[in-house]
Amino acid sequence: MISHAVDQVSTFAKDIDVLILLICGLVGFWFFVAEGVLFFLVFKYRAKEGGKAAYIDGTDPKHTRFISWPHRLILLCDVVIVVAAVRVWVEVKQTMPTPDQTVRVVSQQWSWSFQHPGPDNKLDTADDIKTLDELHVVAGQTVQFELVSQDVIHSFSVPVFRLKQDAIPGRVIKGWFKTTQTGSYDIQCAEICGIGHGAMVGTIVIEQPERYAEWVAGHAPVAALATPAPK
Amino acid sequence: MRNRLEGVWQFAAVALLLGAVACEGPSDPMVRGAARYDQCAPCHGAKGEGKPALAAPPIGGLPRWYVEAQLDKFRIGARGAHLEDSAGLRMRTMALTLPAEREVQVVAHYVSSLPHAASAPSVSGGDSTRGKAAYAACASCHGVDGAGNPQLNAPPIAGQADWYVATQLANFKRGIRGAKPGDATGATMKAMAVGLDEQQIKDLAAWVASMPRG
Repeated sequence: MISHAVDQVSTFAKDIDVLILLICGLVGFWFFVAEGVLFFLVFKYRAKEGGKAAYIDGTDPKHTRFISWPHRLILLCDVVIVVAAVRVWVEVKQTMPTPDQTVRVVSQQWSWSFQHPGPDNKLDTADDIKTLDELHVVAGQTVQFELVSQDVIHSFSVPVFRLKQDAIPGRVIKGWFKTTQTGSYDIQCAEICGIGHGAMVGTIVIEQPERYAEWVAGHAPVAALATPAPK
Repeated sequence: MRNRLEGVWQFAAVALLLGAVACEGPSDPMVRGAARYDQCAPCHGAKGEGKPALAAPPIGGLPRWYVEAQLDKFRIGARGAHLEDSAGLRMRTMALTLPAEREVQVVAHYVSSLPHAASAPSVSGGDSTRGKAAYAACASCHGVDGAGNPQLNAPPIAGQADWYVATQLANFKRGIRGAKPGDATGATMKAMAVGLDEQQIKDLAAWVASMPRG
């Protein structure tokens, strides 16, 4: 349902959408029940000629069951939501699958820049490819990112991945995603970070392995290519 | 009937045009520029006096052509797109928030109308006497008095904040500025700055900052 509005391009995007719909469904159901009962009672017990208010002290189970039973059912719904949410949380945030590639995502006012591992697929070597605005990854691969901030708090948000991770100055925060299809998608900052926050955008380009290899070959530092890394 | 329909269409067309004109906002470029400048003021100051703590230089009184040219460079990534230029990266994003070329012109017009603000010296170790001697190389474009020369795309630099002059010279020298396609004038400056050492940059900054803006 949500995927009609925003594509699902990571392996966990669907799990998060299901969770959002579950929460919307359960909370929405109780919202409409509660509002319905409220307006029904307001209407039923509206001021009438000769009507007299009854004094109810709230101790008679006959009266309290209208609160206690919905209360128990809602608690049950809470348990369902918590269990479902924790399962997704553990999958997305607490588990780190073995990555095919590691990239560094650098946030600063008000730009995204990226450090790709280059031909040797190792970060922090001479052949790393640094880019502004554009992150290139291979479709179907698991990508681990190291998120850093140069100045203030930012948030790395890729809506099609249903991924959002704060970047904190002084910390290296690791996370992952596994892409499911090719294409170019938006990266945005999801934490107010100054006057240019709204324009702090980037693009993630997800490519087939051959296209990615071509891009790497075309962008790797010339000096690094000329002298192959020692084995 | 047909005539009446035509009348309705004409009325609708005129109304639409009037509506479009109304959506454009005020037509006075100074008013439009002042409104646009609200986005610039948090860093460059309400009067364009600059804020060194934010690496935002004084821009008040810079000529319109220069402000326009720099905004255009920021917008196409010819300036401020180097990963080590954090201040430039900020300015690039802000320049990109201007929705159209016309907005570049009105904000440049407004900036040029602001007064030039003198900056207190902040770079230590610069010798303006030595800087004056080294400035001979700059004078052919920027003028003996630092007033600039629009024919050579050389902006006025007299009285510019010393920290900004030093930072930009270092950026030109290191290829952080003036090395991107689309920045031909920057490339000229890069060639001029590449031979400067750290001390010469400080000396030049001290001299340039000490020259009175005409």
